Amino acid sequence: MTKQMNENRLITIEQIEPIIEEDTEYNFYFGPAHSGSGNFGVKLKIDGEKVTSARADPGYLHRGFEKLMEYRVPMQNAVLSDRLCILEALNWNLVHAEAVDELTGVEVPQRARYIRVLVAELSRLQSHLIWYGVMSLALGFDTGFKMAFGYRDYILDLFELITGGRVYPAGYICPGGVRRDLPDGSQDKISRVLDQTEEMMRKMKDFDNVVFSKRTKGVGILSTEDAIRLGATGPVLRACGVETDVRKDDPYEIYNELDFGIPVREEGDAYARCLVRDKEMEESIRIIKQVLDRIPEGNVREPAKITPPSRVKIPEGEVYVRNEVARGEGCVYMRSVGGGEPYRVKVRGPDFLHMIPVLEHLLKGAEIADIPAIYWSLNICPADMDR
Amino acid sequence: MADILHKESKVIEAISSKFKIDGKLQRERRVWVTADKDNLIALCNFVKELGFEHLSAISVTDWPEEGTFELTYHLWSYSEKILLTVKTKLDRANPIVDSIVPIWKENAQIHERELHELFGVKFEGNDDLAPLFLEDWDGPPPFRKDFDWRESVRQKHYDKTNEREQAYYD
Repeated sequence: MTKQMNENRLITIEQIEPIIEEDTEYNFYFGPAHSGSGNFGVKLKIDGEKVTSARADPGYLHRGFEKLMEYRVPMQNAVLSDRLCILEALNWNLVHAEAVDELTGVEVPQRARYIRVLVAELSRLQSHLIWYGVMSLALGFDTGFKMAFGYRDYILDLFELITGGRVYPAGYICPGGVRRDLPDGSQDKISRVLDQTEEMMRKMKDFDNVVFSKRTKGVGILSTEDAIRLGATGPVLRACGVETDVRKDDPYEIYNELDFGIPVREEGDAYARCLVRDKEMEESIRIIKQVLDRIPEGNVREPAKITPPSRVKIPEGEVYVRNEVARGEGCVYMRSVGGGEPYRVKVRGPDFLHMIPVLEHLLKGAEIADIPAIYWSLNICPADMDR
Repeated sequence: MADILHKESKVIEAISSKFKIDGKLQRERRVWVTADKDNLIALCNFVKELGFEHLSAISVTDWPEEGTFELTYHLWSYSEKILLTVKTKLDRANPIVDSIVPIWKENAQIHERELHELFGVKFEGNDDLAPLFLEDWDGPPPFRKDFDWRESVRQKHYDKTNEREQAYYD
């Protein structure tokens, strides 16, 4: 019995099917059901272990915000603008509010400007913490994920205190200023949360050598020329050696009064993008500390009394507002013909370029095992791409 | 004031001396230029040489009463730190314009692909205008002003005989 079974298992040379060249090529879908990809997919063609072509497959989160905004007044659009990017709602709030402010020509009170920058930088901090968490998860480092999300929660507590919402601030930064003043004692609480974030960043540095560097060094290299040609902005561009930051080059709010640096790396690989974001968090903390020191007293919205939305008209005109959101350059083009609603709103999200041309370019020729590292080193968010 | 806006004026001067068109200085770092459709590619080539190497966005505004589409190209110069917007108008009945893909490459390609889907503007010379966001969409380009999305949603997704959905028909 045993002897016969052994004989059956023997395979002769003739029985082995010859390996045909074409058999090493296959299609591979990364997302939209992948646990780390977000509502977005990439269709890959793979030969053996190498990616030969990549095509982005967006649209799973297309909600038509640009069209919706044509039907709503600015105060309603402020609430919609939260949803432009779930992971950094307050930054997008700010872009929208600035576009309306520039059209109406309203003089935003100085205290409101400080509060806007304060919450926008807090939002950038928590967005970078999400990025660190998901990047750790993509690299198989679950502890980093849990820690980053744990520390992010302290910042969400602040958002709850200041805006009333943990993730969506419901249009806290609204045209004319902010919806309400900082509650009593919030400055102390913010300082405490900054200490906690710094503690997290010290821990991030310990991990850096072990996990991140081995999986990300030399992976997904983007040259400076490619980065500019493909429309990369923000940390992705700064990791390719271009010293540019909308907050410095095209200053808005009070950024020209603040002292902060632009972290730049020359390498252009996934590791450089990680280090740039790490340094950016330090700069954000510096900005928040300066804001807390200098914040003046006064009114937080102009006009201070709420006007019924039906009576507010946007003067005729067109503006293009650029902001530095956590992921790159976030812009709004707003056109008004003098009605209550804007005539046309165009939202330019940084991930529209990062997730389609840049990602396709970086994935071509990459190894399968490097896909998550490349994908998350871009810190992508399908929401502001699809809109 | 004139001193501060020196570089912006220089850009306007360079463009107007070459193309006989006026530029508008909106504020610090914001310059707007309106070009003819036939001039567009030559102007784009010229401003790319001037240093406007970053195409920030392309947008379309629909003017059904006028019968035109207005295209706006938002360009940023990393060296001069100026945002230049180039505007041009197309005939709404026959919205064809030359593609700027040869100038701004993949960046322009993806913006044009989006606008082709949402507004139905054809970009001649762009070889990949496949649908981007909308899956299995066979209606008119949805971001046009004359497309009534509320009516479309009612017809496609709601049932008038359903009691709970009657509110959408009031």
